[in-house]
Amino acid sequence: MAVGTTRKDQKSADSLSTMRPVSPDEVRAEVRKFWQVFSTKAKSEFEQFYLPSATVFAANAPRMERARLMVVRRARELFGPKSSVGAKLGSVDVQILGADLAIASYPFHYSVTRTLPNGRRYRLDVPFGRATQIFQRDRNGVLRIIHEHMSSADPVASQELPDN
Amino acid sequence: MGKMSPELVSSRIHEFWNILTGESKDKFEDLYSPDAIVFTGRAKRSEPARLALLRRMRQLANATSNATAEIGSVDVQVVGSDVAIATYTYRFQSTRTRTLFGRATQVFQLDGDGVLQIVHEHLSSASPTKVEKAVGR
Repeated sequence: MAVGTTRKDQKSADSLSTMRPVSPDEVRAEVRKFWQVFSTKAKSEFEQFYLPSATVFAANAPRMERARLMVVRRARELFGPKSSVGAKLGSVDVQILGADLAIASYPFHYSVTRTLPNGRRYRLDVPFGRATQIFQRDRNGVLRIIHEHMSSADPVASQELPDN
Repeated sequence: MGKMSPELVSSRIHEFWNILTGESKDKFEDLYSPDAIVFTGRAKRSEPARLALLRRMRQLANATSNATAEIGSVDVQVVGSDVAIATYTYRFQSTRTRTLFGRATQVFQLDGDGVLQIVHEHLSSASPTKVEKAVGR
């Protein structure tokens, strides 16, 4: 994607792509873009991945929440200058459920440094992350997440980092 | 069977848990699409549901007593005419496992005969994160 354009701009400029049925390759590309945007901490672009009604089970949250709340929290804790996000993706399985609906599921290795409002920083490493992301094409033809479930196969430990 | 509705989805979810706890002798495989993909509790990767079901059925056959399950309120998003995404929390206890903060996503789709089947399932546990102290403090 060209620097300086949004996902919506890009799709609007390519009206043919808005009508074609969703394909596994398109979903895999969207998953890769999601993690690229997440790791570059681009908040406004990141929140566009989710439909306004989207729901998520975040990696270790006991309850489901609205995506827009999760985005606010991730932006606060993960998108600041002292935070970082990195992920390596495994093979992405795609199930096509209709012309405009698909499920991506894949393992991933996730490493983040979170900064809390009190300034404390924590390093979290999740070697066996698991993701389900359900994508739906919106009215502009953009694939967006309608539901996300992230989890870890193993219990997660985080390490408090020293001040610096 | 029928038209997609949150009530139909909830009733399939209750069938699922009744089978898992041994209260119902219905068959797991009737709940799943042949192409379904699942993430089970501690699996590191997704797998075809038919493999996970074989394991579950073996465990059920070997169980010495019924398991217990308690599910929270089920949120259902109906997407289009034939798909629904169900999400909820649960507690589950059996002779082999105990899950206090279970989380479930089950995606249902009506098949060609109008039967509601699970096409994707992600079950996980939100265990509390262990925090280790700062290095060098």
